[in-house]
Amino acid sequence: MNVKEYIESGIIESYVMGLASEPERAEFERLCAQYPELLEARRRFEERLEGYASENAVPPPPGVKMKVLEAINLQNNKEPARSPVALRIIAAAAVVLLIGMAYLYFQTRQENKDLTDTNDRLKNSLDTTRSILKKIVDEQKDVVGNPNVTVVNMVGTQVAPRSSANVYWDSASSNVYLVVKNMPKLPSDQQYQLWALIGNKPKDLGVFDATDDNVILKMKNTQTAQAFAITIEQKGGSPSPTLQKMQSLGKTLQSQ
Amino acid sequence: MGMHNTYTEQELVRALKERSDQAFGFLYDNYAGALYSIIKQIITDNSELADDVLQEVFINIWRKIETYDQSKGRLFTWMLNIARNASIDMLRSKSYQNSQKNRELPDNVYKGAVSQVLLQNVDNIGLKKVLEKLRPEHRALVELAYFKGFTHEEIAEMTSVPLGTVKTRIRNALLQLREYLK
Repeated sequence: MNVKEYIESGIIESYVMGLASEPERAEFERLCAQYPELLEARRRFEERLEGYASENAVPPPPGVKMKVLEAINLQNNKEPARSPVALRIIAAAAVVLLIGMAYLYFQTRQENKDLTDTNDRLKNSLDTTRSILKKIVDEQKDVVGNPNVTVVNMVGTQVAPRSSANVYWDSASSNVYLVVKNMPKLPSDQQYQLWALIGNKPKDLGVFDATDDNVILKMKNTQTAQAFAITIEQKGGSPSPTLQKMQSLGKTLQSQ
Repeated sequence: MGMHNTYTEQELVRALKERSDQAFGFLYDNYAGALYSIIKQIITDNSELADDVLQEVFINIWRKIETYDQSKGRLFTWMLNIARNASIDMLRSKSYQNSQKNRELPDNVYKGAVSQVLLQNVDNIGLKKVLEKLRPEHRALVELAYFKGFTHEEIAEMTSVPLGTVKTRIRNALLQLREYLK
């Protein structure tokens, strides 16, 4: 091909100034690799254009350079160069950290739940205790403060000289309460039984344990009683008292 | 740290590809004026949009330096084309169109562009000063193709000149232009 003619066609200027079509560009680049004089002509025009542009430069407005430098610094900081190894280590550390934090989170949550549960249980227990205490106080008021109540001091017998208990008997309502003061502990298959003696006939008023001390036990009611007696019986009580094992006896005013 | 006061083009390209801030500062100081000139020749309304384009052009140079291929031309040629393309994009953008709203709108985009080109004020800078030396029919074609970014086909349509004639006239105009670039 005639390179000189090609050069004089204006293709170089068209290419350098960005006005050539895509096929023209491809052909020009191919021919440049083939013809050094074409490449040299292109270089000369580029230098001439650059020289002219530099001579006719317009001072750029102040401040643009600073904005540009800030923008590229931001980009550089946004995408810092990291080696794949460093990235892998960071990724691994992130995973470990994440697992650790998840574990801590669940552990803390579990601890918190446990504490809340314990707190609830304690609160319930306190409520129950309070209501029991209130009941006891009310009962004591009923028993102790009631003018109809007779206190019968049960004293020990020869078999059990140290045994003692108090029977609070409300003759108006027939309620019988028992307060254990000192009763020896029994084998687990035995219990104490309270009796009312009515015309020398015993009436069962219920069983209790030595461990029921310091509380007011509500026993079975009786309208009349000359005396109260406590015997040791098999667990659950007996239909009639085993008198040789009588522990305690107290007479009422009705006996006189 | 190398205290470069100047770089050869080879050194500059290598330093830029290695992301040297110093080389980039040198590039800006040495070429911003020439590129701002071409931007102002395309965005002629004295708005701050030309400043925005200059900023965008240098950010793009920094971002795209990896794609610069020395076998296809000089660094300045590459940057000049980035500046020209960014300016023409701005010319066609909404924000530029909005800034032109208070101006008289031509009833036909093409005719408007042609008459605008022919009625261009004489306060020309850079390459446009050289254009004044060309014959009017050549000058208008270069103006439309280079400074307005129309394709040869679009110019043929808007000027009612055959495509082959448009192409030849533009090539001839560019050859004349080359002779004046001294």
